[in-house]
Amino acid sequence: MQIMRIGKRLYWVFQLSGWGLFTLINIFFAFIFDKIEWKFGFRLMIYIGLGLLLSHGMRWVVHRTNILYKPLQSQITSFISITLVFAMLVGISETYIQQYFDILPRESGTNRPIAVPKLILNNAFYSFVYLFIWNCIYFIYHYIEKSRKQQLDTLKLEALVKELELKTIKAHINPHFIFNSLNSIRALVDENPERARRAVTELSNILRSSMQVEKAETVNFEKELNIVKDYLALENMRFEDRLKVVYEIDEDTLDQQVPPMMLQTLVENAIKHGISKQLNGGIVKIVSDFRNSHHELIVQNTGYLNGALNGHEGFGLSSTQNRLHLLYGDKANFEIRQATPTLVEAKLSIPVEAK
Amino acid sequence: MRAIIIDDERLARAELKKLLQDFPEIEVIDEAANAEEGISKIDSLNPELVFLDIQMPGKTGFDMLSELERAPYVIFTTAYDEYALKAFEVNALDYLLKPVEPKRLADAIQKLHLTEQKENRHGTENVNNSLLSESDQVFVKDGERCWFVKLSDIRLFESVGNYAKVFFGTNKPLILKSLNALEERLDEKTFFRANRKHIVNLRLIEKIEPYFNGGLLLELKGGEKIEVSRRQTVKFKEMMSL
Repeated sequence: MQIMRIGKRLYWVFQLSGWGLFTLINIFFAFIFDKIEWKFGFRLMIYIGLGLLLSHGMRWVVHRTNILYKPLQSQITSFISITLVFAMLVGISETYIQQYFDILPRESGTNRPIAVPKLILNNAFYSFVYLFIWNCIYFIYHYIEKSRKQQLDTLKLEALVKELELKTIKAHINPHFIFNSLNSIRALVDENPERARRAVTELSNILRSSMQVEKAETVNFEKELNIVKDYLALENMRFEDRLKVVYEIDEDTLDQQVPPMMLQTLVENAIKHGISKQLNGGIVKIVSDFRNSHHELIVQNTGYLNGALNGHEGFGLSSTQNRLHLLYGDKANFEIRQATPTLVEAKLSIPVEAK
Repeated sequence: MRAIIIDDERLARAELKKLLQDFPEIEVIDEAANAEEGISKIDSLNPELVFLDIQMPGKTGFDMLSELERAPYVIFTTAYDEYALKAFEVNALDYLLKPVEPKRLADAIQKLHLTEQKENRHGTENVNNSLLSESDQVFVKDGERCWFVKLSDIRLFESVGNYAKVFFGTNKPLILKSLNALEERLDEKTFFRANRKHIVNLRLIEKIEPYFNGGLLLELKGGEKIEVSRRQTVKFKEMMSL
């Protein structure tokens, strides 16, 4: 509503100043060539009146026929035909009004009025030029406005898609893990009640953080690491001696900011595609360190990378890449590789924040 | 009923064993932590029932079953696994979701008793009888689909290189077994080697017609036409005249 009102006011500003300028130019040239006389003024007034009226009518036609929403090709042809029709209308009505008031222009050098059909054509031709310019301005204005709006819409849409993507990535906790953990906890209730109680706390922490995480773009690394520790403690309960966990954490990295659940996703992958596929299990090693003014996070696990980068499993990796790109542009990096014949290494490197 | 629990997590096995204490008719005789161990324990102990986890290191539960000569009754256990759940839906196999609800376990065991009564299988405990009997079932996996098939429902084995194509119902999946190996294990009273490429189920023959060179042409219940070689025709006639 607001925008429409602004658009309407803008139209009248353009319309009145356009025709006003036209009047001034005409008076200026008439003054220079010394043709100022009452007939000239009368004719000019008639012309301006007609111009205002019919160009406004032209706008009405453009609105009614929704030309602006048609493809470019048909927009151009429609505009030209409308201009032609209205130029003829202006030509005809101008001439007949002039005839009615008996102020028809004379043939040069004589006192004979110019023949009506010839005059109509003449007037229509000039009107065509003016209306054409009028339409060009109108058309170009709307064209620019429309493409700007489209650009804005595309940007909004992209932002929305990104936001949704982030949400789905972040909210992702493997249900297989949750139910397996619950199953283990039930077994532990009799066997080791103390451990069972701790496991309930660990699982709650993970579930809570996965729900809260949607709000923040980044979190304190210490917080993220605590979730990972809870997670690995639970996996350790399930895998028992098949899983060995090693931490190599530089204390100074603890107050760095990291994207939430990103390290967690990598560790989850290390278990899912690495440890759980090995008959005798293996090791998961987490390293956090500074290197070349970047905060480097490394997850190593026993396993093989073959084919894990394609299809279904590749989704987690490419979304990690996308998230990093969205947050840090080219300054962050993520890679996964077979570090040794039995170890897979995923490496995140995030620019260190200036404090 | 003697049962084995196969699951890679010790706690999961412990939990299931505990739940099974309420069912004295189910006797858990052993456990296995992976598919390899599972196969060797099934072969040596010959249990009637197996509780089987799908996701295990190395081979999945499905892979393990398709390697068995003879599939015992199986109740699958899984935590949450979209793919496995899909397989269950498609094939109507019995499964329990972990953590197992005691009521669901009771239902599954109840269902098992019903099937057992109907089939009266293992009634006389044919322990380690190397021949597969008609009421034995095999587990067949073909891509995403899998079946427990009773041997009495199989009408034809066809040799395809190292594989054998198994014909039952409207399905004909491939299994990784040679026709010769199959022949050794199948009861020759029911399963007859018609020629180099085919073993037919004698109880599922629809029509017998004479063929060239003194051979025979068998038409099976599924419409397949199988030629009996001249040499085997003699044997076939002998068997049928009995």
